[in-house]
This record gives sequence, structure tokens and C-alpha cells, in this order.
Amino acid sequence: MTSTTVIDDLKKSQILELLEQGKRVDGRALDEPRKLVIEVNAIPKANGSARVRLGDSEVVCGVKIQPDRPFPDMGDKGIFICTAELLPLSHPTVETGPPGPDVIELARVVDRGIRESHMIDLSQLVIEKNKSVVGVFVDNVVVDYDGNLFDACAYAATAALLSSKSPKWEMKNDVPTLVEGGESDVPITTIPVSVTMGKIGNHIIVDPNGDEWDSMDARITITTDSNGNICALQKGGTGGFSFDEVIKCGELSVKVGSKIREKLKQAKEGE
Amino acid sequence: MGGRDTTLVLLDENGIRCDGRKVDEPRRIMIKAGGLKNADGSAYIEFGDNKILVGVFGPRDVHPKHMSNTDTGILRVRYHMEPFSVTERKNPAPSRREIEISKVIKEALEPAVMLEKFPRTAVDVFIEVLQADGGTRCAALSAASVALADAGIPMRDMVAACAAGKAADTIILDVNNEEDQAGQADMPIGYMPSLEKITLLQLDGILSPAEYKKCVETGIHGCKIVYELQKKALTDKYFGNGEK
Amino acid sequence: MENKRKYVIPGDVITTGPYRPEQNVILDGNKIISTTIGISEIFDDSIKVIPLTGKYIPKIDDLVIGKVISHTSLSWELDINSCYVGFLPAQDVFGRDFSAHADELTSKLKSGDLVAARIANFDRTRDPLVTIADRDLGKIDSGELVKISPSKVPRLIGKRGSMIQMIEIATGAAVTIGQNGWIVISAETPEGLLKAKKAIQMVDEKAHVANLTDQVKEMLESKGES
Repeated sequence: MTSTTVIDDLKKSQILELLEQGKRVDGRALDEPRKLVIEVNAIPKANGSARVRLGDSEVVCGVKIQPDRPFPDMGDKGIFICTAELLPLSHPTVETGPPGPDVIELARVVDRGIRESHMIDLSQLVIEKNKSVVGVFVDNVVVDYDGNLFDACAYAATAALLSSKSPKWEMKNDVPTLVEGGESDVPITTIPVSVTMGKIGNHIIVDPNGDEWDSMDARITITTDSNGNICALQKGGTGGFSFDEVIKCGELSVKVGSKIREKLKQAKEGE
Repeated sequence: MGGRDTTLVLLDENGIRCDGRKVDEPRRIMIKAGGLKNADGSAYIEFGDNKILVGVFGPRDVHPKHMSNTDTGILRVRYHMEPFSVTERKNPAPSRREIEISKVIKEALEPAVMLEKFPRTAVDVFIEVLQADGGTRCAALSAASVALADAGIPMRDMVAACAAGKAADTIILDVNNEEDQAGQADMPIGYMPSLEKITLLQLDGILSPAEYKKCVETGIHGCKIVYELQKKALTDKYFGNGEK
Repeated sequence: MENKRKYVIPGDVITTGPYRPEQNVILDGNKIISTTIGISEIFDDSIKVIPLTGKYIPKIDDLVIGKVISHTSLSWELDINSCYVGFLPAQDVFGRDFSAHADELTSKLKSGDLVAARIANFDRTRDPLVTIADRDLGKIDSGELVKISPSKVPRLIGKRGSMIQMIEIATGAAVTIGQNGWIVISAETPEGLLKAKKAIQMVDEKAHVANLTDQVKEMLESKGES
């Protein structure tokens, strides 16, 4: 979506010049993410929600939990669906209408990070096998843009899920019926954290801001789980990474990810 | 959605409504001007349990070009609800209801904005309902007006909005979701306080001519309360910690 | 009359009576109403509002900073932070014997380049025509772009250039101010650049404050923390 923005050349050369000296335009260390502010339960009417600001990128995420029919070949598992949308008020270049490839990639990468980590134990979300299951719908909307939406959306989705309360249903006369007072936490097995890194020249930077995002040659998003294992990955951009760089990015994602995981836990506890 | 609560008492013997308000009392309202980095103007409103964010861009180039007008700028409004804003998850595609509300809000703002100074341009107003609780169009219109002023779009006046209605045979100010579902009438009003003109007016429900008059009066009274909060939001942003 | 300057928002009645409405006000009956957020001023028999927000509206002869966003075989398009795109014809750069076949526009300016330009022509019917064919105009090769609200440019310049001169002298920076709110700062030292940036941002945030010059001066004279 920001492919139509043109970064001014002076800023671009300044970013590269500073990186040669080991510095970044906003004064951060190369492996330092921006300030992360998490407000959980920002939308009390949703089953779970979070408003997350990563630098000047801001995302609101709402979780809706409701009974649904299972997918045909997965009658013993609940449904998890995660979306991401760029609202037109987030940036002057965003247009209304169907999402472009960039936004579709964003939504899929955020979905995959959570899905592949098995964050939610979907086998616990069955009301009646093959008939009725619980669906968890996680919708991210981007309200302000300053680069790296992958992580901003992923943190919002994770924080929202951690704060979610699921109602309980039972089958009565073949219809899923709400059980009063049956609310419980969503069954969580691990806390996935994505870390997105950009490559500018030969430099790897964590959590690129908007200007860095427009200047970088390639990027990589790596999601790790609570055990420090890598569970999802996406490379993007027109440049490439060497073997050593890919390994270094893996290490960075574990190191930076563990600090962010603590923040996500604190946000839930401080709710 | 779901069965109506038939035991709900809309107005008790002491004249207190189901959410504890008096008949002429609006819900809690908080308005903030600005807040978004990329938009030319923005505003956030909490109106009862409604939470709405508005961003304004422009005047700017019109795409597609054939929509532009060589004599004046044009106003475009999109009212949109997030999937998680209502009880049952909403399909993200725009509904007929959202398209109609976009249109009435646009037509409520048009008398205020002066776009003839900017031929061939567009001003875009994007309204995002993060949480809905009855009366979103009035809250959205009030916030949109603040966001337009924040963007520096020339305006003849602000537009403030509030609904009035009828429940338990009584004219009430600022109809909430329960009163809208179980009540007798709902009348959203948009109003320019200095020019004393009504720019949005709708009605669902039955009113006698006398009730109709009282309802409009009550609604305008609500608009004036909202107007003071719009004014405060802009004053706080632009003239905060400065001397008068 | 006793209260000459007032903070106003759209719709505020500034006064009633026989005044001449000037910029950013309208007359409704005998009421004079502000159409923008700003500071109202009454001078003799006229009333105007100095705006504190709003987009840049091009005026002939204004100096602006523009960013090249695209080009055709005959002209460049510049983002000039306005409601309209700036239009720079190839002849302005290549001269009168410009040939669309022989001359490659990107050899002179490409997208992402910043230029100092002047508004050569503008009316309601077409996009503003800009020129870079003059002394002090043309491609900008060094410095940092800073953006402020165009409505606050007069405050940054100050009376007869007093504010900007004070900032330049205190920081050793050279500041090119576009009327469109885009500003390029070049400085000898990184400290000078930071301080000049901070001073300019201060003007942007506190343009409505009466003793702004003193506050900026105090900041510029303070040592260390920046």
C-alpha cells in the first residue's frame, strides 16, 4: 500500500549513512524495537480486544467468539480466523475497496504466526463433534501507519487473545445454547511473538519504522513460541539474505521476542 | 439481535431511565481532537459506549479524475463499522445501512464546509466505528465535524448532533440502544449552533404534532451540549497551555 | 473593541456590527463568524482570522520545497504539500530547445529528489506551474527535510525574519523555508541540526503563544540536553 509513497532521497541516504556508523535515524540500536504500548480490553463489547501502538503504527484488534459449523474435514477442532485490514484513515495512500496483495500478505502472515504456533488449543473448542464448534474471529484494523505492520498486528492479535473470555455453549435440541456464567479464558498453549527485521545495505535492523520500511531492500518476519522455537517465517522484498544473515535473524527473533513476550504477559496481568 | 427483554423498565416512577439517566440527560460524552499522525485532521469520540475514530484527508487530488468538479471541491464520506463493533461479528463488506448513513452524514456536513475555494479537489472523511451502542450516526457526525475543523477545512459553522426520542410515552434526550429497540421513536438531529440550522434529521416511530415539536426542541438542546464539548476538544488541542 | 485578539474555532461569532470581513471570516446578517481555527484580529474596520491549521494554497511567487513524485516525457510532478500537484515543465530545466526524444528527464531530476521551486502561475482552472530556473532554486543536495503546518510559516519567519535569523545564528544552521511548510535544514554540526529542528518544532507546536520568541530563545541558549 505504501508502494505509491516516494521517500525523499536525502532521508534515504541519511538512513544508510547513519547505518554505516551503526546508528539509526530515530536513535535506536539496530536490534531495538520501538516503544510498544498495549491497552487490553479497549473494546469492552468484544470478547477480547487490544489497542496497540508500536512507534507510530497503531492497530485496534477485536476478538469475537461465537458458535459455528466446523470445517468438513476438521469436525474435532474449533475455528480460528485472523484478518487484518488497513483503514483508509491510517494513511493518505490507502484506498477503500478490496485489499491489495500487500494487505492480503499482511493478514496471512499474522494469521500463520498464531496458527502455526498452536497458540489456541482448538481441540478444546468443540461443542459437538462434526456438528458445532466454537469459532474465534480475530480482526485487526490499522488506524495509523509508520512501518512494520506485521508486528503491530501480531502483538495486537496476541494481546487481544490473551485477554479474551470465551462464553460457553451446550447442545440443546441440536442447537448450540449459551450456558449462563460459563465464561472462561481461551485455552492458550503458548505465546507466539513475531519479530520483523529489515535489510538496508548490509545492515539488519529490527522493527523498521516507516522511512526505513520505504528504504529497505528485503525483510524477514520470524515468529517464535514460548519455548524459543521458530514456528513461522516470511521473507519479503526484492533483495536477498545470505545464510549467515538468516541465522542471525533467527537469533535476533528469539532474543527480541522474549522481551516482547514479557510485555504481552504484563499487559494481560495489568488488565 | 436475539429476544427482547420484555421485563425492561424504560422509565421508572421517579423518571429515571434504564441506564440511570434523567429524561433530559445525555450519556457520558468525551471528544478528543487530533491523535492520528498521518491524517490531515482527526478526532475520537466516546458517546456512551460508542467509540468512534474519524480521519480527514484533503483537500487533495481526486481519483478517479471523472469525479472531480471544476467549480468546487467535493466532500466524500465513508461510515464503516469494524467486524468486532457489534454483538454478532459483522461481515467486513459495507452494508446498505452503512452506505445510507454515509450519505446522510455527508449531506449533514455539506452545508457547513466551504469547498468552493478548492475546485477539482476532494475532502475525504473516514469514519470508523470501533464499538457501537445506539446513536452511532450522531456521535460520528459530531466527531467528523471536529476532524474537519482540525484539518483546517473552512467551515461556516460546526455541526453538532444528538438524538431525541420517545420511550414510555415520554420525550427523552439521547436514545440509547435499549431505548431504540424497545422505545417508541428515535429522531437523530444534526445542528449548526451559530447559524441555527438543522442539517440532519431522521425519524423512526410515531409522534403527535406536539410531541414532534418537543422532540426537535429536546434534540437541539442535546446538540448544544455536544457543541460545547466539540469546542473544548479543539480549544484543548490548539490553545492548551497558552494564555488567553 | 477592548478584546482585539481572540482564539476562535469555526462558527464562533467574533463580533457584530459594521466591520469588513477579510480572510477566514464570513458575514451572516450582522454577525461576523470565523471559518477556521485560529486567532481573530480586528484592525480599524476590518476583521480577519490568522489560521492555525490547514493545507497550503499556492500563491504566485511563493518559494516552496517540492518532492519529485513522477514524470512524463514532458514534465515532472511535484508534491508541494498542497491540495494540488506542482507541475514543472521540462523546458524549465532543459531550456527552449528541449526535445522529448533526445532529453531524458531523469538525467536531471528523478522521483525522490527535493527541489526549491517558485510558484510561477496558478489559478482556479489548472494545477500550479512551478519554476526552478532562478538563483537559489533547483535540486537540493544536502540537509534534512522537516515538515510543519503551512499556516505556521509566517510565525517561523517572524517579523522581518527575526525568528528564523535568531535560530540560524544560534545553531549555525542554514534554513530554507518553503511557504508550503516544508523546510530544509543544513548544519555544520549534528548538535546544531538537532537544536534547529527542535526550535522549528517548538514554533509549530506553540505558534499561538504570545511570548514564543522568548521561549525559543531560552531553549536555544540552554546547554546540553536536547
